[in-house]
Amino acid sequence: MDQRRAAILAEIPRLRRYARALLRNRDSADDLVQDCLERALGKLDGWRTGDNPRRWLFTIMHHLFVDQMRREKRRGEAAMLPIEASEAMAVPAHQAESVASHEILDALQAISPDRRAALLMVAVEGFSYAEAANVLGVPAGTLMSRIARGREELRTILEDGSRRRAIRVIEK
Amino acid sequence: MTARDFTERDIHMALDGELPAEEREAYELWLEANPDMKARSQRFASDLAALQKSVGGVLTEPVPERFERLLSGETPQRRIVSPRWRMAAAAAIFVAGGLGGYLLGVTGWGSIDAAASQLADGAIAAHTLYAAEKLHVVEVGADQKDHLVGWLSKRVGVKLIAPDLTAQGFELVGGRLLPAESKAAAQFMYQDHTGNRVSLYIISDATTKETGFRLLEEGGTRSLYWLDDGYGCAVTGTLPQEALMTIANSAYRQLLDGMKG
Repeated sequence: MDQRRAAILAEIPRLRRYARALLRNRDSADDLVQDCLERALGKLDGWRTGDNPRRWLFTIMHHLFVDQMRREKRRGEAAMLPIEASEAMAVPAHQAESVASHEILDALQAISPDRRAALLMVAVEGFSYAEAANVLGVPAGTLMSRIARGREELRTILEDGSRRRAIRVIEK
Repeated sequence: MTARDFTERDIHMALDGELPAEEREAYELWLEANPDMKARSQRFASDLAALQKSVGGVLTEPVPERFERLLSGETPQRRIVSPRWRMAAAAAIFVAGGLGGYLLGVTGWGSIDAAASQLADGAIAAHTLYAAEKLHVVEVGADQKDHLVGWLSKRVGVKLIAPDLTAQGFELVGGRLLPAESKAAAQFMYQDHTGNRVSLYIISDATTKETGFRLLEEGGTRSLYWLDDGYGCAVTGTLPQEALMTIANSAYRQLLDGMKG
């Protein structure tokens, strides 16, 4: 395997982590990673050895993610899908998750894809604001406001969630 | 007062490591002087930690073989349904009856590894033999479901469940233990109200490979099969491919939940 391919291979765990947090479902996330890898391999010439492949790969994946979100929106989202498919999409990640992980990952799915991506790029993937803005193709100010709104939204959902859960327990 | 006025924006910057080091001290003082801001910062910090923790484990998961193969330039021609079709197939059927079949067909035929093809061969052979049986279609009936599932789990070495396929119109008839190479296989037999039978054939798989759904057809009997995380399963019957896919989707999820649960 040449140097460039090996460098891409080394980034797969991070790409999978980002995709998993973006999409929640393990299979969908790995499909996104696969699309990203295929796209990257097709554009290997556009990437010089010596460059860190991480930003390049995340940029490719971001474009694919945006396309995917757009397609889903056009399809009319969950309302159009049969029960079978929407159930499949709601399948939790395969490994045992703690309640806290489960909640935060669910909450993350409820915030807008733009905010989700911005927050994850910085908070989980450890990109600087400047790098993340570059990958996501937005001005740094936009990135910052997405992160701030994303965090607030996430907090609100988590707080609502714990209230709802409390009510459910009482109902039982 | 501090050197500059801090705002909520600085909470995010501090959390994300974007606050200049020289402002850090003044920022901490500002937090101390503003308990509501401090509380906010703490909530965000704990959300951040939870978020990092929730997906942190992904980094240590082994890289799926399909990605390694992709990067090493081996792109084996196989009739694989990418896992996305586990989800998309139902949607595709919804859109157009024939599309599910189209999706299965486009990825092409080719060689498949031994473990997976033995699985499908075994499943088709067992289905053909027992689905035709009138009196002794199963060894243990659905009336003893708990016993059946416990027994087969133990013998096969996989924590099994008998998936509920009533949503697809199939009721569990029962199951049996079968030989599969040098190990044991479990077969769960299902039947719809017209007498159509579908079986699930499950083996343990030490390779812990993951595959998408694959299809094997033999004399009008179709088997949709996959390997996933220590087990292999084949859904076999003479139903149309789309119906089989719907069942496979459901069985896949239920088996997985059963194993993790």
